[in-house]
Amino acid sequence: MKPDPALILRRKIINRLMTSLFIVATTIAVGALVVILGKLLITGASELSPRIFIMNTPAPGAKGGLLNAIFGSVAMTLVAIVTVTPIAVLAGTYLAEYGRGSRLGHVVRFLNDTLLSAPSIIIGLFIYGVIVLRAGHFSGWAGAASLALIALPVIVRTTEDMMRLIPDSLREAAVALGCPYWRMVVSIGWRSARPGIMTGILLAVARISGETAPLLFTALNNQFFTTNMNGPMSSLPVVIFQFAMSPYRDWQSLAWAGALLITASVLFLNVTARAIVSRGSR
Amino acid sequence: MSEREYLLTKVEIRKLNFYYNGAQALKDVSMNIFDRRVTSLIGPSGCGKSTLLRILNRIYDLYPGQRAEGEVIIDGHNVVDRQGDLAFLRAKVGMVFQRPTPFPMSIYENIAFPLRLYQKMSREDVDMAVENALKKAALWNEVKDKLHQSGLSLSGGQQQRLCIARAIAIRPEILLLDEPASALDPISSAQIDQLVGELREDFCVVIVTHNLQQAARIGDYTGFMYLGELVEFDKTDTIFINPKDKRTQDYVTGRFG
Repeated sequence: MKPDPALILRRKIINRLMTSLFIVATTIAVGALVVILGKLLITGASELSPRIFIMNTPAPGAKGGLLNAIFGSVAMTLVAIVTVTPIAVLAGTYLAEYGRGSRLGHVVRFLNDTLLSAPSIIIGLFIYGVIVLRAGHFSGWAGAASLALIALPVIVRTTEDMMRLIPDSLREAAVALGCPYWRMVVSIGWRSARPGIMTGILLAVARISGETAPLLFTALNNQFFTTNMNGPMSSLPVVIFQFAMSPYRDWQSLAWAGALLITASVLFLNVTARAIVSRGSR
Repeated sequence: MSEREYLLTKVEIRKLNFYYNGAQALKDVSMNIFDRRVTSLIGPSGCGKSTLLRILNRIYDLYPGQRAEGEVIIDGHNVVDRQGDLAFLRAKVGMVFQRPTPFPMSIYENIAFPLRLYQKMSREDVDMAVENALKKAALWNEVKDKLHQSGLSLSGGQQQRLCIARAIAIRPEILLLDEPASALDPISSAQIDQLVGELREDFCVVIVTHNLQQAARIGDYTGFMYLGELVEFDKTDTIFINPKDKRTQDYVTGRFG
């Protein structure tokens, strides 16, 4: 069969056209990211100094750092992750191992996916109603609770996905040796899925360490350093929000430094998560 | 074989039927499986040979839609009637799968893990049992210097022998092998065949295989299955040289399947 030259030419032109379309789209997407990171790096880096880590947030016009906000963020994130991880890993395991075909499993999975996409401000409001209003004051505990609620569905989902990647033959091999099912899950399932589950936890940390909206309703802010989680607590995202909106030059530059700090740690967490995955799959 | 053989029936299967979510996969299968002999199950894909194997240790129990009816009598107990403790059954009936399934732990731990499921053992006893199992599976010489490396670091053939070592470490009486060499290269596959031949001295071995040469080489008895039925079951020589059923003859001569 002799190809129609006109048709071949048309194909070639369309091919060129589509390729350039893809390239342009990718450039726009990556370009936006590069502009954001570049601006953040240039402006934020010039504000970085040791005092960021040793001084608390200042009054306008005074010198200061972000110590109270950094500590507050780390404390609330840590409390949230440490409390929610066991629950989320067990729930994800239930979904993958026991709730695969069951009605309850379907319902829980659907609810979890809903929670996963729930706007974080709603979760903040919920904790505000349940904890803050009842206690009568804002607190670091309430902040940690709202972060935990955001991390929960992320870890449930990744745990389930990772446990499902385990081949059935491995489960059968353990069961055929007379291993009770729960023991198989604990000794073999979790061990196989550990890199994936760890990655899920790290991604959840990355996700909640940048959350602002839920903390506005729960931990509020605190211009002083405190380890008391029973009272209002400062956090990096909220400080950035407050300082960036302010008319004061020195507050704005602290906000830049804070933004760079969060971005860098989220980037670090993501890279670590990837490293764990690629090491695990070797 | 002219001299009379002394045969001990280890597994007695009577009128066994099996259903996957209502679809019948085995039809009235009856056969005797003898102790200290290798019994091969052959037949085209989907004929029910793996299904039959998976009934013997009730591994199908894992899946809610699967159901067996009939009798599979091992040492006087019908294992299909859902009475009796599964741990005892599985201590007695070991299984090795088509693809190697090493656990994500060290070579040593892979074998120590099932041991600890059944008995509290001293460190020395575990060491000894691990060594014995690996020797019996012809793997000891290759791994004795790296017992604490991951089981996943071994080659495919070594992984499969590790799985055999793991299965025999708990000293079962019956060993089920589900196409144990089909995912391996020819040399590893030959090693597994040889190993299976040696295992018959201590165990009642049932092996499912797609490979007719393998069945002819290592099986004392062979069952040919087709569409869920056990068409013919006899001494391996009879099945391969002088089968009674036309379908068996067609299959072993390569005319279909």
